[in-house]
Amino acid sequence: MHASVCDLITDLVQNAIEAHAEEIMLNVEETEKNIKVVIQDNGKGMSAETLEKAKNPFWSDGKHRHRKVGLGLPFLFQTVDMTDGSAEIQSEEGVGTTVTFNLDPQHVDLPMFGNFVSTAVSLMTYEFDGNLTVQHSRNSRSYSVSKNDLTDALGNLNNLENMVLLKQFIQSNEEELR
Amino acid sequence: MAKMTLDELRSLRDSKKKEMTQRDGDKTAQIVVGMGTCGIAAGAKEAFDAFLDELDNHDVKNTRITQTGCMGLCFSEPTVEVAVPDMPRVIYGNVDADVARRIVKEHIIGKALVSDHIFDKPAKDIIDGETK
Repeated sequence: MHASVCDLITDLVQNAIEAHAEEIMLNVEETEKNIKVVIQDNGKGMSAETLEKAKNPFWSDGKHRHRKVGLGLPFLFQTVDMTDGSAEIQSEEGVGTTVTFNLDPQHVDLPMFGNFVSTAVSLMTYEFDGNLTVQHSRNSRSYSVSKNDLTDALGNLNNLENMVLLKQFIQSNEEELR
Repeated sequence: MAKMTLDELRSLRDSKKKEMTQRDGDKTAQIVVGMGTCGIAAGAKEAFDAFLDELDNHDVKNTRITQTGCMGLCFSEPTVEVAVPDMPRVIYGNVDADVARRIVKEHIIGKALVSDHIFDKPAKDIIDGETK
């Protein structure tokens, strides 16, 4: 199990990046009773058969030679199983993949939520060609920002100063959700 | 901090840009953080955040931070590759937030390797500073 829900989110969004998606949508909706996360991408997708295999921790898609394990999705199912949550993956080859999961924030076995600011900064500055939109809502407040908008406002996101500004930006938006 | 809009972000960027044009040197140090499942599980995001924070605190410019997937060194995660101009390229292992801060102070600013966390090293004499 990942140490925080944010770690789990990072891992799953990276799957979308590695699937060569052009558009990735990360939507996190938090209420007192539920945390709902949707990660939607238009990457290469998986066949039903591949998806079944991907749920097995002792299978990997072959991006690392000789490696027999792949823990991204299994960590999701482990977390969901241990905390009475739910998860669903819809995928179609050539169309994309949507991962949806719901977690009970009050469940005693749920890992802490984690730091969403560093999660968003890390995902926004991960170098890939596509666009990523992050939407975060808590109770009735929300914000949304896309990588294209940020690149447009700042330029190169991997430059240190821009990263610091980006972090301030995300932080200020996160503070509004409290 | 009040909620920042994209326009405010843009103007903040523009005001910083003016300061930046007066800076010299085009040699850029690069930090690559391994962010695979193994890296994330081992705390690579905390290391990433610490790098950002420490570089900003010391007002270090001309540094790029990028991320990559699993570097194949899962047992020594979080792993971080550091390339500083005119220094050997080094891969550090077990880089938690404290080690990340040390790398900024000792390697990026001080131009000395953080020897006890080197995973992949160029040559022993370079690590130990011996010239024999």
